[in-house]
Amino acid sequence: MGKHLALISLWAGLAAAQTEPVKNPHTSPQDVAAGAKIFRSHCAECHGLNGEGGRGPALTGGEFFHGSSDADLMRNISRGIPGTEMPGVFFSETQVWQIAAYVRSLSERAARETVGGDARRGEQLYRSKGGCAACHMVGGEGGRQGPDLSAIGSRRSAAHLRKSILEPGALVEVEYWVAKVKTRDGKSLSGFVLNEDTHSIQLLDSQDRLVSLQKAGLSELSIDKSSRMPSFQGVLSEQEVTDIVAYLKSLRRQRRSE
Amino acid sequence: MMTMRFWTLGLSLAAAASGQLTYERLLKADGEPDNWLTYSGNYRGWRNSRLDQVNRSNVKDLKLAWVYQMPVTMKIESTPLVVDGVMYVSEPPSNVVALDTATGRQFWRYRRSIPGPVNVCCGQVNRGVAVLGDRVYVGTVDAHLVALDAKTGRVVWDVTVADPRTGHSVTVAPLIVKDMVIVGIAGGEYGIRGFLDAYDARTGKLRWRAWMVPGPGEPGNETWSGESWKTGGAPTWVTGSYDPDLNLIIWGTGNPSPDWNGDVRLGDNLYSDCAVALDADTGKMKWHFQFVPHDVHDWDAVQVPVLVDAEWKGTPRKLLFWAHRSGFYYVLDRQTGEFLLGKPFARQTWAKGLDDKGRPIRNPGIDPSEEGVIVWPGVQGATNWYSPSYSPLTKLFYLTAWENGSLYRKGAAVYVPGNRYIGSVPLIDLKEDPGWGAVRALNPLTGEKVWDYKLHTKPWSGVMSTAGNLVFGGSMEGHFYALDAESGKELWRVRLGGEMATAPITYRVNGKQMVTMSAGSGVFTFSLP
Repeated sequence: MGKHLALISLWAGLAAAQTEPVKNPHTSPQDVAAGAKIFRSHCAECHGLNGEGGRGPALTGGEFFHGSSDADLMRNISRGIPGTEMPGVFFSETQVWQIAAYVRSLSERAARETVGGDARRGEQLYRSKGGCAACHMVGGEGGRQGPDLSAIGSRRSAAHLRKSILEPGALVEVEYWVAKVKTRDGKSLSGFVLNEDTHSIQLLDSQDRLVSLQKAGLSELSIDKSSRMPSFQGVLSEQEVTDIVAYLKSLRRQRRSE
Repeated sequence: MMTMRFWTLGLSLAAAASGQLTYERLLKADGEPDNWLTYSGNYRGWRNSRLDQVNRSNVKDLKLAWVYQMPVTMKIESTPLVVDGVMYVSEPPSNVVALDTATGRQFWRYRRSIPGPVNVCCGQVNRGVAVLGDRVYVGTVDAHLVALDAKTGRVVWDVTVADPRTGHSVTVAPLIVKDMVIVGIAGGEYGIRGFLDAYDARTGKLRWRAWMVPGPGEPGNETWSGESWKTGGAPTWVTGSYDPDLNLIIWGTGNPSPDWNGDVRLGDNLYSDCAVALDADTGKMKWHFQFVPHDVHDWDAVQVPVLVDAEWKGTPRKLLFWAHRSGFYYVLDRQTGEFLLGKPFARQTWAKGLDDKGRPIRNPGIDPSEEGVIVWPGVQGATNWYSPSYSPLTKLFYLTAWENGSLYRKGAAVYVPGNRYIGSVPLIDLKEDPGWGAVRALNPLTGEKVWDYKLHTKPWSGVMSTAGNLVFGGSMEGHFYALDAESGKELWRVRLGGEMATAPITYRVNGKQMVTMSAGSGVFTFSLP
């Protein structure tokens, strides 16, 4: 009997442990400050000094693609995210919680910040005056000559998006550098480098063709790091830019259906 | 059918009749090019073969003879050994298979079960086995040394080298010296205290342990501030060389721990980043040469020591050639450790040069900082553990070279047993400037570059030279290639598709020269038709 009772309470304990969400136990201002220090030296290179994003996604939205709970943050910070560029960091549990506390503080700050603008109007501008869909894809519709924007609102801050519209050349990801080649038989083409080794190069060319070329057959190969996107400075009004940013910020990752 | 069977039986009997692998045979490994008896092919670390059946005129005709696919997905860093018709190759994490060198068919497989999680910095890898008598020796990621029966793969003995729960692992291919198995330890990213061990090959009993971080009262301990020697690193994870005439084991040591934050371990941090020479019978240190005192860039000296006797300024001398991860090439006297020459072999931005003792003269502003500082070479070095090669025919030194820089960042360093203890997360590859790689030939007496075989990406494969005047190497792009040893011109290339993180070997089967290289999960063997 006693044994049975002990078993039952053990099960009850386990069940409680399974349902009770893990909570970050280190969220004091001191913890946030300690987390900020580590973030600066280990995370800022990709996520930006204030979590605004860059090579890695912005962390100011409060929602994270690979999970938004405290347990998710603990896992992803300490172990890294397989299949992405995100490495794990190797700190004590307390320090990882402090990083998580700092990351949370970023979205709390961002939540107080308002983007302004009219997302619906922004969507119309995106399709009409902006002509953005010619090169960018949203939800499977649009072009391939610029980054897919389907979930750009989850990944980039409003400030980053605004800058990308007005100064597209400021940050061009390596994936969008353009290879310009001339073949020995006189053909010219250009495209994004999908893959390259010592002997060959694979491109998505400007006509959306997949092209594989042997370097031995090329007379010229150069890489253009400038952006193909025109600046919209002076083309769109300040309000129109704000509206498009509002629309882009509304493009969030869809939660996977259960 | 009957005849066939008898014929096959005859072959295996012939192999058995050639006898066990004795220490005397290991001493003369160069004279047995039909085999590949030890990690680097000979005790001098040459990774060179006297076979010339495959040569510059016919290498283009090489064809696939067989492939062995490892039933694992982790990367292969293992150099196979070939002993009398049998190939012994380790599989990650710590398995061993014995294969028929004619067909690639398996004789036996030893599968190591790993108890619980283990901490290995850079993949659960194994770099190969050692063979002596009828025993095969393998180190394991849970820091054991295991002796297997060479005919069955059954465990003969299994001894603990160190505690895997504190970040120790054995990834190195052991080296047989006399009747001992020499084994190094890995764990430089976990704050271990490095050592090199010698075990009785018959019983597994520890003969000696040479600490690579000296304890209190021992010379060199004063080069560590406070108690930092206890977690000082200096692992020994790549197989060294052996000079039987001098009775010296020459081995390279790895980085001090923590890697990128030196504030907690002020001083030169001996014997991290060193070439050390140990008395083979006692493990007593005869000399050391430290390439980078107080390293804060993770520039291990885990290169294979290359031992060559040559004239140095008119006098015959026992020399040691060493292309170090920091981008400098060195010539040392291996009897005394005396510094003779040092010269950059790749782009480096951290040192003005070396003083007359070989000590680097550092540039200002090269230490990791909170914001990060870009320094050449990068974290993986201008070369790393990839085997170099020396050819007595061309008298050239061949190595895998990287031309790239990294962003070195400094962060907190708090030691917690079993956790990583590195003091930052550096950015190894600059995304917009990832650099490139090459197989590079140096004149080993001057350090001058003779030729480069350039690669778009940075290779993780070592190189092998042969009497056919060829240099074989592999790339991360999936290509296995043969170069003209004199000019570096590519003479043959085959696409194997997988990444290559090991080095080639060659041997002979039934009169045919075979060349073996691993790529992805496969062990690929080529021969002429």
